[in-house]
Parts: sequence; structure tokens; C-alpha cells
Amino acid sequence: MKKKIWLWVLGLCLISSVAAAATVKVITQEAMIRKDKRFFAPALIRAPFGAALQESGREGDWFKVSYQGKEGWIHKSAVQEQKFQLSSLAGGQAGEASQDEVALAGKGFNPEVEKAFRDKNPKMRYDLVNQVQAYRVEEQRLQAFLRAGNLREPGGGQ
Amino acid sequence: MKKGTIYFAALSLLLALFLTGCAEVVQVGTAMGEGMGKISKEDREAIDRMAKQTAKAVRPMTEQEEYYVGRAVAATILSRYRIYSNERLTAYVNSIGQALALASDRPYTFGGYHFAILDTEEANALACPGGMIFITRGMLKKAQNEDQLAAILAHEVAHVNHKDGLASIQKSRWMEALSILGSETARKLGGAEMTKLVSLFEGSVDDVAKTLLVNGYSREQEMEADLGALAFLNRLGYSPYGLTDSLEKMAREQTGGSKQGIFATHPGMDQRLTKSKSVIAQNQWPRRDDPARNRRFRELAG
Repeated sequence: MKKKIWLWVLGLCLISSVAAAATVKVITQEAMIRKDKRFFAPALIRAPFGAALQESGREGDWFKVSYQGKEGWIHKSAVQEQKFQLSSLAGGQAGEASQDEVALAGKGFNPEVEKAFRDKNPKMRYDLVNQVQAYRVEEQRLQAFLRAGNLREPGGGQ
Repeated sequence: MKKGTIYFAALSLLLALFLTGCAEVVQVGTAMGEGMGKISKEDREAIDRMAKQTAKAVRPMTEQEEYYVGRAVAATILSRYRIYSNERLTAYVNSIGQALALASDRPYTFGGYHFAILDTEEANALACPGGMIFITRGMLKKAQNEDQLAAILAHEVAHVNHKDGLASIQKSRWMEALSILGSETARKLGGAEMTKLVSLFEGSVDDVAKTLLVNGYSREQEMEADLGALAFLNRLGYSPYGLTDSLEKMAREQTGGSKQGIFATHPGMDQRLTKSKSVIAQNQWPRRDDPARNRRFRELAG
């Protein structure tokens, strides 16, 4: 009996890893799919938070994905493997939401909670937070900055 | 099924959960098991229940949730300190910081990395969850060159990478938040639930802000952030000695040679230095001194 259960456990792990290979979801506010697996490679298309990307391969820290007819590369830190579509395939409890689904649907510490927190704490300087977040360094400017300082281009989590 | 076997099955499923991180996978497995007549309906239900409860208990904060906590922590800090408005210096700090973030182990976060200078003579640097990082004008003055400034920022990027801010949130708060969120029928939270959730959010933000502004991180967290910083610096071609030089300088200035001041409030400082120096030596990382970087540092921040 024990052996059988362990086989089940092993089987479940295998199912999960196979299922994970097909789709990845964007977990950042927006993510860039690029022509090559480099941070400064030309951008092909912008994918918003929650977008489902078809994965067709991996190399190092980069996933090869397609989205809206474009195929390119996205860094692993911008996506999450999707595991919860399985239940509908296997006739499981597709109607119920898993915690992952709940989280990806935005339930949790979300804009609604932030709004209530701000209403309760009107002295919080969210105006300045937005100002700091709006500041952008253009990619070309950053590349020029690295070159001028005799620095290397980041390769990402080597 | 005997009691002992159920217990064993439960343990196995816990293992499966930790390996897969997904209760749904367990449900598929048990559905198949029941369909094939391997386990009874009651066992299936018991196992599924356990799997779902465990999944609820272990779900970490998502990137998006980390982002909203980080924004609130930043809003707290910015209600106490003014932003130092200097366009060229802000651009300089952001360029160094953005490059380090891309060279880090977590180049992208929900809202990305952003750097700002706080207008105070206090020497400090603070990393909010999700990637908003503040360095004070007082801390900028401590850096003697770009590589030392990069080291200070790299250390903060490492704290974001390691989610050290989130780790300071009391576990019970997050568990309670999950129990509110976990009521699957509650697609839309009711007034009382929302009020409770907001107060848990507020408590979480307080936990992080207190750690950043008052209590500080543990010696281990600081040491890990140093090691992360060394790696990020080296990947870009900055001198890893930027870290040890700046730490040594700060320690010297604060203590006047004696083991007081910063050594007293950060008892791990000497160990951190020893560890960083040994990692630099082991990797035989060179001391780099770049005239172009030194020049632009003098022009912009010197």
C-alpha cells in the first residue's frame, strides 16, 4: 500500500511538471517580449499583467513564448508557470477557484485595499510614490551609461 | 483504508504539495484514483480537503501584493522625509540602480525598480518590498566613488531580491488575511471582511516600516544582502571592493576607531566585512578603479 501511495505522489509531481510546460502568465504590471534573449534586445510586443503566453522552449533564464502572433523571449522573473488548468482537463472541480487563481484574479492586497488604506490614512504621500514610480531611464540611455562607465551589459541572474 | 495509511497518505500529499505547489494537481490525482477504483470517495474528499487547506496556508504573497505593500511602505517613508529634487543626480542614481537590478537574480518585479534620494543628513538606504529604493543625501556623501555608491544600491536591490521586507511581516497577519481571502464564495468581500483585510494590510505595512526605519534586519539578512551585492557588482564590472571599502569607511567614521557606534547597533558589521572580504579573495575578484566612472561621480555626486 505504501509503495502504491508513493507512486501516486510521484505521478502527481510528473503530471504537474508536464502541465507547466504549455502556458506561462505575465506576473508583472507589463512585460516586454523581445527578439532575442537579452535585456536590451529589440522589443517585439508588450504583454499586460495576466496575459497568457504560449511557451515553446527555455534557454537559461529566458522563456521562448508566443503572444498575439509574435514569437520572442521573455525573462523568467516576469512570468509564472500556469498549473491550474489541469482540473478541467481531467474532469475535476473546475468550477472552484484555487488560491493561485484567486491571487491571479487580483483578490488580496490589491488596488481596492490600497484605496481603503489611503482613505483611512490621508497623510500618506502616495502622490510622491507615484512620482518616484513614474521616473524612467530609457533603455538606450542606460546602455550608453554602461558603455561610458566601462561596464558590462547585464546578462540576468547568471 | 487504515488510520495509519491515511496518515501516511496525508504526509505523502504534503510532500507532493511542496514539490508542486499546487492543490489542484492533487485533486486531479485523487479524482483519477477514485475513478480507477484505487481509493474510496471518502478518502478522496479527505485528501482533497487537506490539500486545499495546506495550499491556503502556504500561499506566499504574490508579486502584485508585494507591490501594494511596498507602495504603502514607501508612502509612509515619504510622509516623513522629503524627496531631494536634483534631476541629474536622480538620473545618475537611477541609472546605476536600474543596471544593478537587471544584473540581479530578480530583474523584474511587478512594478519594477525605482530609486529616489531623500533630503536628509541621516545616512541611510532603504528598500521597500517590490523594488522602490531610497538613499539619503547623507548616505550619498559617504560614498567616495561610483563603485561604492553602486555597492550601497546593490545591497538594497539584494534585500528586494530576497524579499527581506516581506519577511518582517508577522506570520499571523498573513495567515489571517488568507483565511479571509480563502472563503471561496466571497468573490466580493463584504464590508466587515474588507475592514479587517485593510487593518491586516496596515499592520503588515507597519511591520515592514518599523524594520526599515527602527529595528533593522538580522545579521544573517544583512550578510546575505552583502553577498548578493558582491555578485551583482561583479556581473556589471563594478569593483566588489566598493562594498567593503564603503562599509569600512562608515564603520571608521562612526566609531572613531573604537568598537562603538555603528558596531554597537550593528553587532554583525565586523563579521559581514570578514565574510565579504573572504568571498572576494576566494573568487579572486580584482580591485577595479575606472577613471571615467570616478570622473562622472565627482561631477554629479562628489
